[in-house]
This record gives sequence, C-alpha cells and structure tokens, in this order.
Amino acid sequence: MENLLSCILWLPVVGIVAVLCTPKGKDNAVRWISLAVTTITFVLTLVLYCNFDTSMSEMQFAIKVPWIKAFHIFYSLGVDGISLPMIILTSLLFAICIMSSWTITKSVKGYFALLLMLESSVFGVFMSLDFFLFYVYWEIMLLPMFFLIAVWGGENREYAAIKFFLYTFFGSILMLVGMVALYYVTGQSSSSFDILALQGGNFTNEMVSIFGYDFHFNKLFFWFMFIGFAIKVPVFPFHTWLPHAHVQAPTAVSVILAGVLLKMGTYGFLRISFPIFPEASVHYSTAIAVLGVVNVIYGAMCAMAQTDVKKLIAYSSVSHMGFVMLGLAAMTVQGMNGAVLQMFNHGTSTAMMFLLVGILYERSHHRWIIRPDGTKGFGGLFTQLPNYSIIFIIGMFASLGLPGLSGFISEALIFLGIYERFTTITVIAVFGLLLGAAYLLWMFKRMFFGEVIEECKSYTDVNAREIFYMLPLCIAVVVFGVYPTPILDIMRASVGELVTLLSRF
Amino acid sequence: MLKLLSNMSFYVPELVCILTMCTLLFMEAFYGDKSKGRTFVYITAMIGLAIAFAVLACSVGNKPQPIFYNALIIDSFSTVMKMIMVLGTLGVFYLCSQSTDIYEDLKTEFLVMTIGVLIGGMLLSSANNLLTVYLGIETLSILSYVLAAFKKRDGRSSEAGLKYVLYGGITAGVMLYGISHIYGILGTIQFSEIPGLIKALDSQQTLLLLPAFVLFFVGIGYKIACVPFHMWSPDVYEGSPVPVTTFFSIVPKLAGMAVLIRVTLVFFNHDGVLQTAWVGLMQVLAALTMFVGNITAINQKSVKRMLAFSSIAHAGFMMCGILVLNATGIRAILFYGATYLFMTLLAFYVTSFIIDKYGTDDHERFTGLISKHPLVAISMSVALFSLAGLPPFSGFIAKFNILSALIESEKYSLALIAVLNSVISLYYYLRLVKTMCVNEADSSEPIEGLGFVNQAVIVGLGIPVILLGVFWEKLMLVADGAKIFIQ
Repeated sequence: MENLLSCILWLPVVGIVAVLCTPKGKDNAVRWISLAVTTITFVLTLVLYCNFDTSMSEMQFAIKVPWIKAFHIFYSLGVDGISLPMIILTSLLFAICIMSSWTITKSVKGYFALLLMLESSVFGVFMSLDFFLFYVYWEIMLLPMFFLIAVWGGENREYAAIKFFLYTFFGSILMLVGMVALYYVTGQSSSSFDILALQGGNFTNEMVSIFGYDFHFNKLFFWFMFIGFAIKVPVFPFHTWLPHAHVQAPTAVSVILAGVLLKMGTYGFLRISFPIFPEASVHYSTAIAVLGVVNVIYGAMCAMAQTDVKKLIAYSSVSHMGFVMLGLAAMTVQGMNGAVLQMFNHGTSTAMMFLLVGILYERSHHRWIIRPDGTKGFGGLFTQLPNYSIIFIIGMFASLGLPGLSGFISEALIFLGIYERFTTITVIAVFGLLLGAAYLLWMFKRMFFGEVIEECKSYTDVNAREIFYMLPLCIAVVVFGVYPTPILDIMRASVGELVTLLSRF
Repeated sequence: MLKLLSNMSFYVPELVCILTMCTLLFMEAFYGDKSKGRTFVYITAMIGLAIAFAVLACSVGNKPQPIFYNALIIDSFSTVMKMIMVLGTLGVFYLCSQSTDIYEDLKTEFLVMTIGVLIGGMLLSSANNLLTVYLGIETLSILSYVLAAFKKRDGRSSEAGLKYVLYGGITAGVMLYGISHIYGILGTIQFSEIPGLIKALDSQQTLLLLPAFVLFFVGIGYKIACVPFHMWSPDVYEGSPVPVTTFFSIVPKLAGMAVLIRVTLVFFNHDGVLQTAWVGLMQVLAALTMFVGNITAINQKSVKRMLAFSSIAHAGFMMCGILVLNATGIRAILFYGATYLFMTLLAFYVTSFIIDKYGTDDHERFTGLISKHPLVAISMSVALFSLAGLPPFSGFIAKFNILSALIESEKYSLALIAVLNSVISLYYYLRLVKTMCVNEADSSEPIEGLGFVNQAVIVGLGIPVILLGVFWEKLMLVADGAKIFIQ
C-alpha cells in the first residue's frame, strides 16, 4: 500500500518506454499498450479509493524520501480528500481519451507517449506534498501539452500552443519566486518546501521591498501564487489563452485540458494558496468572489456569441470554473464542498461535451453552428443521429445544471455556501445559470432541430467504440447527480479541516 | 628557488596544458600534411587535457595555496572553475574534429591556440593580483583575436577578428589605466592586502576608488560580454567558425566570471558605501544584460547569432549570483557554469551539423528536423528547453539556484527581472523548437553522414543536461565545497 501512489505516478512512464520501444509501423500495438497502461492506472486509483479512510483529514498513503538534502527537498507524495477525486477523475479521463484517440494516425507513437507523459505529470501535481516537486510537475506538464497542441492541433495550432506555453510559464515563474521566498522566510533552520509544514502561514510581519515599494510578504506572495493558479483556471483577465488552446487542440487534449488541467488551478488554491496564506486569502476573498462572478457572467456571454461549437464549450468552461471560484471564495463548508464537487462534475460533463464535439468533427470536419458566410453548419442532427443526440442531451443538461444530473448539486451547494457572505454576488451569479441554459439550449436548437442539411445526411451515428467510452461518463453524470454522497464523503474531512483553518483568520 | 620549484607542484594542470601545446606544435611539423596523422593529433590533445582534468579533480578538496610569491592562488573555487573550462575545451576539440567550418590544414593550429586561451583562462581563475588579472586577460584575448579570424579566406571571419582586436585593445587599455589608479590609491596590487587597505581608507579616497574600479571592470565586462560592453560579441560570434563561437561562449566567459567573482569579493566584501554603490551598479548591469541579450535574440534569423545573444543573457544571469556577495551566490554560479557548459555544447553541436549540411544556420534550415533526424531534433529541443530554464532539465536547477541566492539576500526586484527574462527567452527558444518539431519540412530526406560516434556524443551531452536536472545533489555539493579563498 505504501508504494501505491508511486505506482500510479510512474506506471504511465513505464508505458512511455513501452510505447517508444514498439517497432515502427505497429500503431495498433501502441494504442493497445497505452490503453492497457491507462486502464491499469484507473484500476489502481480505484484500489486507492477503496483503501481510503474517509474519516481522516490527514494525508494518506504518504511517502517521503529525501531527494536533495542540501535544500531540504523531498520526494513526498500523499492524498487527501481534495486530491483523491481529482486523481480518480484524471485516470478515468485519460483512459477515455486514449480510446477516443484511436483515430489519430499522425505519428502515433509520439502522440501516445506524450499523452502518457501528460498523465504522469498531472498525477505528480495532484500528489506532491513538496512544493518543489509540485512545481517541477507543474512545469513538466507544459512540454507534452505544447507538442500535443502544436503538432496534432488544428490550423492555427502553433500560435495557440506558443500562447498557451508562454502564458502558463509566466504564471508559474511568479509562483517560483513565491516558492523560493517562502523557503527563505521561514528561517534557515526550519526552511523547507514541505507544503504541510508551510501551512498556517506565520509570516504576517515580514516585509518585502520591490523596486523601492514595500509590500506585506503575505499579501504580495498570495497574489504571486494567485496569478500563477489563476492563469491555469483561467480567471477572467488571464483567460485569453484558453479559447485558442481549446479550439486548436485535438479532441483528447481538449478533454484533458478542460477536464483536468483547469482543475489544477483551483486545486492549487486549495492546496497552496489558502493553507499557506490563510490570512491574505480571507482578506481578499471578496476579490476572489468578484473575479469568480465576472468569470461566470463573462464566460457565459462569450459562449452565447460563439458560432464555433468547440469555442462555445470552451467559454462555457470559463463560466463553470467561475462557480468553482465562487465556492472557494465562500470559505464555508458547503461552498468548499460544492467547489470540489464542481471540479469533479465539471470534469465529467465538460469532457462529455468535448468528446461529443470531437465525434461530430470526425464526421463533418468543421464545427460551425453558423458558418462565417451565414449559412447553417449543422441542422436536424436529431433525426440523423438519434443515439448521438441522446448522449448529447445528457451531457448538455449535466452541464447546464438540470436537477437530477451532476452539475446541479455542486452548483446548489456553492450557492448555499456563498449566499450568506456575498448575497449580491450570488444573485448576479444565478443569472449565469440562466445564461448557461440559454446558450446551450440555443446551440442545441440550432444544431439538432430544424431542417436536415444536405451534408448532415451522410453522417453516421456513434459507433460501438464511441458509445463504449461515452458510457462511463454518462453513468458518472447521472449517478453523481442523484447520489453524490460517495464523493462528498471522501472530501468532507479534508475540506472541513481547511475551512477550520481559514475560519481562524 | 627551491620554493618556486615546490610551487610548481600546484601548477601541474597548467604545465600539462603547456606541454600538450608544445607537443602538438611538434606533431604538426611531422604529421602536418597527412590526414592520417590528424587523428593522432586529436588523441594527443584530448589525452593532455584529460590528464589536466584528472589532476585538477584530484586536488579539489586541497587547502588553499598561494604560489609564485602570491601571484596566483590555488583554491577549490579556481580548481572547479578550471575543471569546467577544461571540459568545455575538450568538447570544443571534438566539435573541431567534426566541423568543416575550420580549414582542414589549420586544425592543429586551432587546437594549439584553444589550449593557449584555456591557459589564459586558468591563469585568470586563480589570479591573485591585479597584474596577473591583466596578464590573464591578455593571454586570453590575443589568441582569441586569431581564433575569431581563423577562417582567413572568409570576409566575415576577418571582420570578426578585427572587431575583436579593436574592442579588446581599447578595453585592455582602459583596464590598465584603472589598475594604475587602484595602485595609486592603495599602493599595492596584491589581492591579499587590498581588503585590509580598503577598510582603512577615508571617505574621500573611497570615493576615488569606485571610478578606478569601474575602469578596471571594463576589461572584465568586455570578456563576459555584459552590457554595455557587449557590442562586439554578436558580430564576433556570428563571424567566427562554429567551434570558435562555441569556445568563446564557454571558456572566456567563465574565466571572466571567475575573475569577476574574485575581484568583487576582494574589493567589496565589507559593508559600506563602496559595497552599496557597486552592488547597485551591478544590479543595473545584470538586469540590462539580461534584457538586451534576450530582447535582441528574439529577432535573429541566424541560430548562431541567436545563441550568441542568449549567451549574453546567460552572463547576466550569472552576474546576479555575484552581486549577492556570499557563498550561496558563488555556489550558484559554479553550478550554472557546469550545466551551461553541457547545454551550450549540445546546442552548438547541432547547429554545427546543420551548418555543415546546408552551409547556413538560417532559422529555416531547421524546419522539420524532427522528420529528417529525430535524435538531433530531440537533443536540440532538450538543450533549448534547458537553456530556457524548464524542469526537469538542468537549466532550471541552475536558474533556481541563482534565484534562491537572490531571494536569500532579499533582492526581490532583480529576482523578478530575472524570471521575467526567463519568459522572454522561452519565446525564442520555443520558436526554434516549433520550427524543428512542428513545421513540415519541404523534403523529408533524412540527414545523412551523422556517424555513430557523432550520435553517441550528442546523446552523451544530452544525458547530463537531463540527469543534472534530476539528480543534482552531487554537483551541488561539489559547487558548495568550492570555497573561494581571500585573505
């Protein structure tokens, strides 16, 4: 059991080696190896779940091995109730993405090796308990992402990939400064990168001088970290890389990007920003809430204006991540639980939407709801692709928060948690839900109803492979919509602990 | 006399180099025209340097020892610095044996002269008085002028040589002028006496010392190509043959860095007006060096020139480690130097192969390299990502160390500037990676003629770039143990 986390973390790396060692031309072998590796990883995360003690708020399965003694850096892993849902989500989505990438034919080996590398680094981020290790994984993740977007993406992929890379690198480099500053502020003898040891933040009186201006250590580096994570989420002024990256990325990468990578930003708030800078976090919670509500409304407005269905879904992610930010800003038990649940639920529902768009794209080779010349891109899909439409409806309604499907519960929890602290903001944010329903339903109407367009007649319905990989997500969306207790149980203790920590300030 | 002789035992590495140099000259006379003998010449040269390296490696932990009436000091810092430089020269030797950028009949001369520059560098890294510094810089420079103009039938190479001479001559003069001022104020050129004398200076004399030191610094600044003394370097780097450029961006730069560390610690190691003023000036220079290097690198079409500008920026990064004036900073610079060596060699090796293949190092020539020769493209990407400072490559750890040195002494502003520069540099490195790995090549014919040994060398250079980014404790300890000795 002790090495379970390391197994999950390094199994994809073993997969990379296996993939690279397969002889040239054996593309199918590469696909099956990747599928096997990701499936085993998924099973291992389920083993992790089964052995997880939900009554404990402490880190479990922890492992701590010295890495660089001179700098007190450890290879330190562990999971708690906040990271476990993310780890399960990650392994599930990666297995599904491998299946959805079966149709990739351009340098198959490289593609799957990079995808596995991405999986490993994402696990690293969610498991690290050492800030240095966290940072290393956080950055390594950029490499496969860059190549996946730049090589296998759409027409404008190079611009999108470089923009994504530079944006995220800028954010993380600020985080790096903060990380090193944290190391030195605690004093030589107790210096460490240990995330757990840094919790509680005892450096309120430190001052930092930059270009002649004095700042409170606490507040300054809270914002440094904030920008680093906010770019990933993405929070409103830092979101401009997202539509490009999403639209240009191949389907599987969009799924990972929206399903998992965006959550790394909010996970960073939960794991680093809030516990290490609790005072500043509470102090600036209004600002976070305002940014969150801007995200909700602005993302929804942008989504409404899109004529490219993938861009529409991308902006809907901006909007939905805004709800997570609101839940975080609430700093109450319901709000935080709602936020973590929303991270999981948005992961499944948005993954469904992107996969569905990808499936459609494989048939139509375009994604226009309305083409630039004003004609309809799709029409009457409902009669042409009945099975596809049913899955689409499930995904869409989960996404817009229909009661009985997963999105509803997390959003309801978030609103419950935030209402007392920020009433006005809650009222505005509820309009975001309305807008969400509006753009999704409007899109659905334009694409699935109306007259059948000539070229849509040739589209074939979803095949067995596609149904097979959509099925787990459909089940997740429905089951957790009716009965979210399993996930809420996992996170309850850890989230409670965090809220208690924050309530002291 | 006896004392001099016994001092010689600390001077073995340099003596080995000198001996190798002489042997090579003789061998050239005997084997010169036969291409068969050439291999022999390389092997001799490499064995000579390998012996020097081994001797240095054995003496790392030894007690600091001033030799030749205090003209030189052999401490672990200088030893480690010398090791890095010897290793760099070895790498350049191999590159020279493969490159067609150096005339076949001049290759032995190239070896002889690089060893000469190396000896100058070694002299600099253990210089213990102002005159030795000057001597070292001149040894380094005069041979460098010849090296820059090595492609004598090529106009641009001659231009590079001439530019180098002009700049070098003037800065050496200014430097000597500065030294004479310092001597005038302090009455000594010995580093061992200077700190004590500076403490005793009254405020007026202190004020005089700073401009004198700035004049002295001109010579060093020109060697490490820091702004505003960097003007020569892009043209020289671009005009020189590739092995020479590679050599220039490693050995003279690190030698200059070594001497800068030593004089900075000698002159400014105690608190006071002098230190504040100098650290302030260095901060500005370091920031400017990084900005100028990185921003100008963005628009370069020639990869060699881009690497030249980026090496200016890297010098700026290393300067950040100096101005904190403590052991963390020096350790960071040594670490930086060691990792920078491998990345730079790797990047220049690949560039050299491209130049040999296509006759130009234009950005476009790298297009679609991944489909033509995956190994080369991947190695180059590793080198570039490492230069940009991305984990898990060693360049990240190097930058991390500099950053921690800055933040430890609360230089947050410079730390911010440094990391911002990382972002800028990532842009142009990333663009080259994009050209190599993303853009489609016009033709997918593979690059031929890259033998097994060359591929092995490329991989051999790539491995430390990655390994030192993951298992960097050992190198860290070596760098940490390399204490600089100042009386």
